[in-house]
Amino acid sequence: MAIKTILCIEDDRFIGEMYVRSLKKANYEVDWMVNGNDGLVAARNKHYDLILLDIMLPERRGNEIMDSLRGKEDLIPQTKIIVLTNFEQDEESRTALEQGADAYLIKAEITPKKLLDVIASLG
Amino acid sequence: MADQVDAAEQPRVEVPRDAQPLMRDFWRRYRARTYIIITAVQCSIMLVIMLTLQLTGIIHLNVFWFFFYAFWASALQNTATVALIHVIGRPFRDLVKAIVLVSDETPTETPPNPNYYAHDRDGFKEILQTVYELSAHDDTPTKPAVTVDDFIKDGLNQTSSGIVILNKDRRIVYHNTHAPIRIDTNESEVLDLLFPEHDDFNDWLENVAKNKLSAERQWARIANKTPGEKDRRIYDVAVSYHKNSTAETVVTLFDRTNEYMPEEEDLDFISFAAHELRGPITVIRGYLSVIEDELGPMMERDQAELMQRLIVASNRLTSYINNILNASRYDRRHLKLHLAEESVRHMYDTIADDMQMRATAQNRLLVIDIPDMLPTVAADANAVGEVMGNLIDNAIKYSNEGGLVHVMARPIPGFVEISVIDRGIGMPSNVLPNLFHKFYRSHRSRETVAGTGIGLYICRAIVSSHGGTITARSVENEGSTFTFTLPIYDTVADKLKADDNTNASLIEQGGGWIRNHSMYKS
Repeated sequence: MAIKTILCIEDDRFIGEMYVRSLKKANYEVDWMVNGNDGLVAARNKHYDLILLDIMLPERRGNEIMDSLRGKEDLIPQTKIIVLTNFEQDEESRTALEQGADAYLIKAEITPKKLLDVIASLG
Repeated sequence: MADQVDAAEQPRVEVPRDAQPLMRDFWRRYRARTYIIITAVQCSIMLVIMLTLQLTGIIHLNVFWFFFYAFWASALQNTATVALIHVIGRPFRDLVKAIVLVSDETPTETPPNPNYYAHDRDGFKEILQTVYELSAHDDTPTKPAVTVDDFIKDGLNQTSSGIVILNKDRRIVYHNTHAPIRIDTNESEVLDLLFPEHDDFNDWLENVAKNKLSAERQWARIANKTPGEKDRRIYDVAVSYHKNSTAETVVTLFDRTNEYMPEEEDLDFISFAAHELRGPITVIRGYLSVIEDELGPMMERDQAELMQRLIVASNRLTSYINNILNASRYDRRHLKLHLAEESVRHMYDTIADDMQMRATAQNRLLVIDIPDMLPTVAADANAVGEVMGNLIDNAIKYSNEGGLVHVMARPIPGFVEISVIDRGIGMPSNVLPNLFHKFYRSHRSRETVAGTGIGLYICRAIVSSHGGTITARSVENEGSTFTFTLPIYDTVADKLKADDNTNASLIEQGGGWIRNHSMYKS
């Protein structure tokens, strides 16, 4: 299943704009939410092929969003999730996130180009 | 006189007379000898006198009367002498008896009475009483070791160093007040120190006890608690081992908290700041990559070169931030490795572009010689990438303009060995032993090249967490070779799968991983 629609949940303007710009240039349809609540609402109301999920978000943390979407039951089985963070987490919550996610990336380690490669490999 | 009571209660053991003369027998032997000598001397004198009188004609006796008088004169004199000795020798006799009484020997005679009328009169009473009092007050001769022991213990407790002594069962038999000790789950005392997981004191001791008669070892910067915990102390630890000695293992701990803590706090702060730095660096690296892609084809040659330098600089910044975060995690025991089957070639490939770019930007030639046919290793690809990145980055830093940096890999028994070789400035041999210590920077590198002194520290932490080793060889002005080993996957695969509870030996598994073994109990 090729990925076409992407939801980007990212509160840092510079980082968000950078990803959105590159994704749009690569012909993806991108919605961008800057806080956790809006992100979760968007994820539940509309189908996306992929969600880019930050962890340190205002109003609702990324791990809570992951819990709501894939905690008890998988509400979005048709959607891939990539966790993108610069935050060092303890082993437990990282493991939990990795289990729910399709990829777990450190933002400082990747460029938009590499992100596009990862998305292509998921699709 | 507690000891004397004890001795009296014990069954008496007859010591053979010739083995060791007893003090209590002295007086009897002395008196007998004195009688014999006096009797012999007096008889001889009497005979000489009577013979002289007879021969000079003063007396005229026949043989019978001569011996009759000689006998009676001697008998009278001897009787008088015995009586005199009894009276005159009495103080001497009583003094001997008193000393026998206060000694460890069991006396057989009644103790001398200081209140005897003659002693009372001539002042000997005081002498006897003094003997009794001296023995009553002074019990030091019976247990001299106690005082010396306490004296040494007090002294050891006053030192600022910790001292711990282990016996041959490796149990703590002594520790002074400054030694960090805790009670473990078996309720025995153990050293309360956080040794590096793969360079542990107990492992070392076990190994040494098996293979050596004596050994010494030092550890630097060993803390008793992880950073941020209360009452954290940092020690340099020296251990000496002598097989079958009563104090088989002696651990000396030098408290260096005051020297080390400021650096530790710096690292704490920097690692906190490093998280913040990651945001801007994400944007810088991201847009640099975007600009390179979009504007690269239009750039002049020199502009493209400047662009490369920007990218190299931002990549290096990312590596340094990772070093700091990893060192901080390692110190907090949070550095988790996920060992999996990896090929060295593949692990290098993930950093290859970055490394080539760094070498080119600084005009170094990077030659990679990693055969495809190497055995696979058990490794955490990200962590090993950081080790290789640090070593290559150092080789670039410390080599000369246009210099060659050579990366090669080869199999050795049980391991794959990876070497990074440069022909640069090298190091004097005296700095090599400290090279992998935290915050260590050689005198020269302090002046000429920037760095934090944690790159090699984290390299060693990562490599030893894999069960490998890292070493450095160097000749000043000729270059350096850094070599590290990683275990071949086949040699450790079973062990890794067996103990999933140790983080370092956790093999990543797809999907679920059942950790709760108790659910299989029947």
